Amino acid sequence: MDYIKDKAPPVREDRLRACNAYGGSCNNLVDQSKKGCLNGIKRTFSQTQGCQLNLSLAILNTIRDAVVIVHGPLGCGGANLSVAGINKNFQQLRDSNARGLLWVNTNMGESEVINGGENNLRDAILYAEKEFRPSAIIIVNSCVPAIIGDDIDSVVEGVQGEIQAKIVPVHCEGFKTKIMASAYDAVYHGILRNLIPDLDAEVKSKQDNKNQLEELQEKYRISRTVNVLNVSSMSRIDEYELVRLLKALELKLNILPCYAHPEDFLKATEASLNVSICATHDDYFVEHLKTKYNIPYVLRTIPIGVKYTNRWILDIAKFFGIEEAAERFIAQETKLLEEALVPYRELFKGKRVMIGGGEIRVVANAELLTYLGLEVVGMRAYHYDQFADEMLDEVREGDRVPFNVATGQPFEQANLIANLKPDLYVGHVGGNGWAGKQGIPVLPIFHQSNIFLGYTGVFEFARRLARVLKNPSFNRNLGENTKLPYFKNWYEKDAFSYIDEGNG
Amino acid sequence: MSKFIERPRYLCTLGGAIATLKVLPRVIPIIHAAAGCGGNIANALHGASGYLGSGYCAGLALPSSNIYEKDIVFGGEERLTEQIATTLEVVDGDLYFVVTGCMVDIIGDDAVAVANRFHQEGKPVLGAETGGFKGNSYKGYDIVLSKLFTDFVEKNPVKKKNVVNLFGLVPIQDVFWKGNLNILKALLEKIGYEVNTFFGEGETLDNLKYAGAASLNIVVSDVYGIEPAKIFEEIHGVPYVIAPLPIGAAGTERFLRTVGEALGTKETIIEKVITEEKARYYSYIERLADVYNDLDFQRYSVVVADVNYAPAIARFLADDLGWLPELVMITDVLTDEEKQLVETRFQDFTSGIRPKLVFDTDTSNVSKHFNASWQKNNNDRYFDSFSPAFVLGSSLDRDFATSIGAPHLGVSYPLSNRVVLDRAYVGYRGALSLVEDIFGLLVGSR
Repeated sequence: MDYIKDKAPPVREDRLRACNAYGGSCNNLVDQSKKGCLNGIKRTFSQTQGCQLNLSLAILNTIRDAVVIVHGPLGCGGANLSVAGINKNFQQLRDSNARGLLWVNTNMGESEVINGGENNLRDAILYAEKEFRPSAIIIVNSCVPAIIGDDIDSVVEGVQGEIQAKIVPVHCEGFKTKIMASAYDAVYHGILRNLIPDLDAEVKSKQDNKNQLEELQEKYRISRTVNVLNVSSMSRIDEYELVRLLKALELKLNILPCYAHPEDFLKATEASLNVSICATHDDYFVEHLKTKYNIPYVLRTIPIGVKYTNRWILDIAKFFGIEEAAERFIAQETKLLEEALVPYRELFKGKRVMIGGGEIRVVANAELLTYLGLEVVGMRAYHYDQFADEMLDEVREGDRVPFNVATGQPFEQANLIANLKPDLYVGHVGGNGWAGKQGIPVLPIFHQSNIFLGYTGVFEFARRLARVLKNPSFNRNLGENTKLPYFKNWYEKDAFSYIDEGNG
Repeated sequence: MSKFIERPRYLCTLGGAIATLKVLPRVIPIIHAAAGCGGNIANALHGASGYLGSGYCAGLALPSSNIYEKDIVFGGEERLTEQIATTLEVVDGDLYFVVTGCMVDIIGDDAVAVANRFHQEGKPVLGAETGGFKGNSYKGYDIVLSKLFTDFVEKNPVKKKNVVNLFGLVPIQDVFWKGNLNILKALLEKIGYEVNTFFGEGETLDNLKYAGAASLNIVVSDVYGIEPAKIFEEIHGVPYVIAPLPIGAAGTERFLRTVGEALGTKETIIEKVITEEKARYYSYIERLADVYNDLDFQRYSVVVADVNYAPAIARFLADDLGWLPELVMITDVLTDEEKQLVETRFQDFTSGIRPKLVFDTDTSNVSKHFNASWQKNNNDRYFDSFSPAFVLGSSLDRDFATSIGAPHLGVSYPLSNRVVLDRAYVGYRGALSLVEDIFGLLVGSR
């Protein structure tokens, strides 16, 4: 894989044959995925969702000391308004001087649609530099400039010489892809092209400036350092847990890309291994770091729940040849954890649960819930691609549990909940409120204030779960007093009635 | 040509259109746009307006054609037709309203014609072009209202003398819209009128449908809702009066007199209501006599808000609270004529206070205008500092407030640092809430 010379990465429909519309059993999904039959399935009724620009911003907005320029009409990136007051606190957990989210919209109007918006973009870049003196100016490109043919790369080239900040164009126009996760590739593409140094030049300058001892020390440090790639919806305490796990194996961590400073990416090549916590999130980045800089990677699983946390640690340990130490650590950790979980298990026994979220996380979460003694009765993932095949294949009773691939689409969820009647919904943002209105308890997962990863994450998850189950009155009252916007007969139809496989 | 905007406080035309439809009872927006438009707007509306939430059929439940590259090349009308038909099967509403995003307007899909075909078959479907590049949220509000007034409001040559319509207060952009409408409605009921506000508590689509029988439209804005009011007058023969948003005793008295005059209401009725309401208002305000005077609760202040709120709040601070609103920044995109009109609203405060008024869309400029209007201390021993101070604005203005050591109350969109349910700031009753919130901050930080 080497797309870095191109201005924009390919979309996931093309690169990964990903799909965002499916309903059926887990086993059938894996079969179809392996045959490549999922690509292009559509819905004849659909509800709105995010686009790759929205999701790109979710990552890019976290970058410290940067200004984001949304090149498009006023509404594009408007969701920033809802995080503008909150994001600063999370940035300040990494740097107490962080300024929070700063953004500029190029405000393309009718005249720009006709005459082009390149001047607006240029003005916005110069303003961002002069007003904020940031380390990086990140440009996200929306639908309108893309369709009218604004050449943002030549604007960037023209203006880069005049300013200090590194300009990072990210091509993420929404209409190009149905797979919101294409955003991850668009963002990493921009980072790879603009924030990560050319390795040859860097090696040369290091040789010029360092003596032999320093060089050896540096080499040793790098040999014990891994890049751990975080996601924007995990918390600082999640990161501390991962640091704790790998520190036990005497490894050092660089944590990228979320909440990083633009300069932190200079260090991305100073590690001996890249470790992903979510293949869907990181495959584009780690593949390129391997191709260009010869840094190997671990991309297999996510450290959620005991089984996959163990697997995650062992995969890393194997690379460094320290499996024995890892096994000892895991044995000690799991023993402590299992003792701590004893008081909760009775409460969870036989509870039926539905799960929603990112594909890898949903499957890992199903494993976690099953481990805690609950019964998984349904899963929903934002999209599906080959990265979940191995994990989904391991789902117990995979021929029975329905799997719904849907970016949002709360109408399908409402139908599933009405018919499966789970005791609990566990979900990532977007579907939780709707589940709540159906009267069942909801446990939100992946949040910037909660821990979810590693062994500590398992315990905290159980603790929160027990709390939510202990008093579900709020949602029960909602369920009795609110109505979802669907006709009654929708709940009598098959939940996947509007998925049209004929278009596949 | 338009200029970039740093941290804009509104969405695009489509955003305003969706916001307006979202809070109309049992109206289902159908978005004909790229997939992300609705999702992005949903987040902004839910999380930046005091946690409004998804609503009945909004948030991620918004029906949307989710067109992408292939539809843009070959046209999206077929996909829209399919989406409207399936929406009518699945989603339970009384009116379905197709709104469009930039891409479909640019490629020339005729979404309105598609909606009309359903309408002709007797289905309750309307449509309007709302491509984001046409303007900001306020424009979306005007387009949707205009369309509803043209095609949904039933023609009725017989007017009811005691019925009025009230609009111009833009839902969600006015985070307190629903509570505010309640209060204005109650006030007008008190002077003897039935009021349709369309977006208010307990109203149904019928309030809109039969709005043509009203004898007057009251537009609570110098800028927003004016275009729809003109269309209303043209089609339904109902005149309109502009009566700017009233907050507090001074503003509300003016409001009642303006409306009373336009309606030909007996002066004695207006006077009676003013007297009663004022008496109730001061029976509470009186409680502040001690704390205001014992703790010296007069404040310098800065107001950052839209064109409806800024004059109303500034007048309230100056004429009701006896404060010193020194700087007011209006953050909307306005024409020169609109700016001139709005300036006149700042010239007749009974207190004689004349705040410095600036029109600026960029968030960072609040502090620049502040520094330009109030000199910095150059290490002088004796210095007239801007203290004690108070900032009223959106949550984007919290940092500015911190920088001048002032408490901050969120009153204008976006509001992501407080939860708003039925709170209201207009009229006499709303002003009491505003006083509670402002002075609550002052005593809370003692």
